[in-house]
Amino acid sequence: MTALLALRDVSVAFDTPRGSLQAVRSVDLDVPAGESVGVVGESGSGKTVLCRGAMGLLTTSNAHRTGSVVFDGHDLSVAPRDVVREQFGTGMSMIFQDPMTALNPVRRIGAQVSEALRVRLGMGKADAMARSAELLRLVRIPDPTEMLRKFPYQLSGGMRQRVMIAMAIACRPKLLFADEPTTALDVTVQAQILELLRDLRRELGMSMVLITHDLGVVAGNTDRVAVMYAGEVVEQAPTRALFARMRMPYTEALLNSIPKVDQPSGQKLQVIEGRLPDPVNRPSGCGFADRCPYVQPKCRAEHPPLAADPDGHLYRCWYPLGGAR
Amino acid sequence: MLARADTFTRVAAGWLAFIAALAIVGPVLPLPDFAEADFEAMGVGVFSPGHLLGTDSNGYDLLANVIAGSRLSLLIAVVSVGIGGALGAAIGIASAYRRGRADYVVNTAFNIVLAIPNLVLGLALVAVLATTADPSIPVAPARRVVVLIVSLTIVIVPILGRIARGATLSWTSREFVVAAKTMGMKDLDIIRRHIVPNVLPAIYAVGVLAVGVVIVAEGALSLLGVGITEGTSWGAMISRVRGEIEYTPHAMIVPVVALALTVIACNQVGDYLRSRLDLRESRL
Repeated sequence: MTALLALRDVSVAFDTPRGSLQAVRSVDLDVPAGESVGVVGESGSGKTVLCRGAMGLLTTSNAHRTGSVVFDGHDLSVAPRDVVREQFGTGMSMIFQDPMTALNPVRRIGAQVSEALRVRLGMGKADAMARSAELLRLVRIPDPTEMLRKFPYQLSGGMRQRVMIAMAIACRPKLLFADEPTTALDVTVQAQILELLRDLRRELGMSMVLITHDLGVVAGNTDRVAVMYAGEVVEQAPTRALFARMRMPYTEALLNSIPKVDQPSGQKLQVIEGRLPDPVNRPSGCGFADRCPYVQPKCRAEHPPLAADPDGHLYRCWYPLGGAR
Repeated sequence: MLARADTFTRVAAGWLAFIAALAIVGPVLPLPDFAEADFEAMGVGVFSPGHLLGTDSNGYDLLANVIAGSRLSLLIAVVSVGIGGALGAAIGIASAYRRGRADYVVNTAFNIVLAIPNLVLGLALVAVLATTADPSIPVAPARRVVVLIVSLTIVIVPILGRIARGATLSWTSREFVVAAKTMGMKDLDIIRRHIVPNVLPAIYAVGVLAVGVVIVAEGALSLLGVGITEGTSWGAMISRVRGEIEYTPHAMIVPVVALALTVIACNQVGDYLRSRLDLRESRL
């Protein structure tokens, strides 16, 4: 099966006064049509840069992207800006971490939701408004026609995120990038939003790239997972396979850092000690070596390439959990 | 807009509305002709019969002159701030949205113009632009007004342009602009629908302050002898009686008070608009 979105050898670097900062290093990632792919990693691991880089949204003059991005048969890495923009909205779209800043504070909800319909699909004002109300109903907002007249500050965080989702799916995109869509929301609302995204994907047959730092969010909402660390994919597998048999010590550490309900009270939360390696002057060996509980001399000396299990489970470790290599 | 304003702001806004109304209906008010001297009442004080604010030493009615002067003073201020603001906003928004080299050039140009004191720049521009080939032929009055407006516009462009640029820089980095891009909107649509509505309030607030600045600049230029020569403005009135302050002080005080009150009112209203702006941001 050909993938809807195929990233090949994608790297993103930023020029900084200290030198070239490698935010994303040679990432290969496929998003098959209809599937949901999770991208997991801690802050600064390059998840968001990868996603914005894939969409071509890194327009500051100091950002450089290399590698190829093929979406729905179009090679976006060589396409002119107009062609890339053609894909936005109808092909791919995006929702953001903070629905507070992702809505224009001075414009009514109706104007903002109907905007994409009018600009991208050429709808008239009345049609676009009617369709906007339908979209708001689709994202389970009660009393949509009333909502169209409100301003963003009159809405709760969860409602704003629903409005954002309505805007993002307005033109029926094939692929939705969800950049930490629930991080700014409280836990009960998180669950509702994730459920909404799950339902919408089923109803609209939409693919999704779900970016998060929470392996728990990934578990129930994705078909495949790519774990990122220091700008690289360090483990990639179908979600079930990943949780059944983790190969990367980093993924294990990430999972252990989630507090457990049945954990005795008073026990300290697990953290991953240390910090990400310096993205400008990277150490020669494995980027996780300094923080890894299983570190060996070889880890510090040589950078591990991606290795594959027979079932296609990819990992970047010299001494993977569960043995072999 | 003024719903939650304090008394001072209300009075200031009222004063501005009053002056603007007087400027507009001035010609139909039952007043003496501002350019015609009353030789029977030269230099009379305020509340004289027939001359509510008195006359200057040449017998010109001060009330009629203040009202007629408000027309030209306000016209020059509003037109130059209007054109300068529109131009500055357009340049500032475009350059901040584009970033890169163009923005660097624009910002440097703004800073260079801002580094020259307003009055010096205005004076130099008027001196260069409002001249004729033969110095003995005076410059046409209408042209003087146009030159004055152009000069003051050039002074205003970088002031408001920098405000627009700064506001655009901060709004462009907001996520909803990225969101608009991911929906496939064209840059011009994004600027029109997302940037401009957010930048305009800042422009309005500083624009009202700029009106005050321009009124003072116009007065100062008149005093320096490069302002209005035909007709009358507040600056021209002050300039005309500057040698007679010992004999008819009220002839100086009347236009000065009118000018000062208007400038103070502009500052107050501008500050109020600016504080409302900050409030709206913090409420989000």
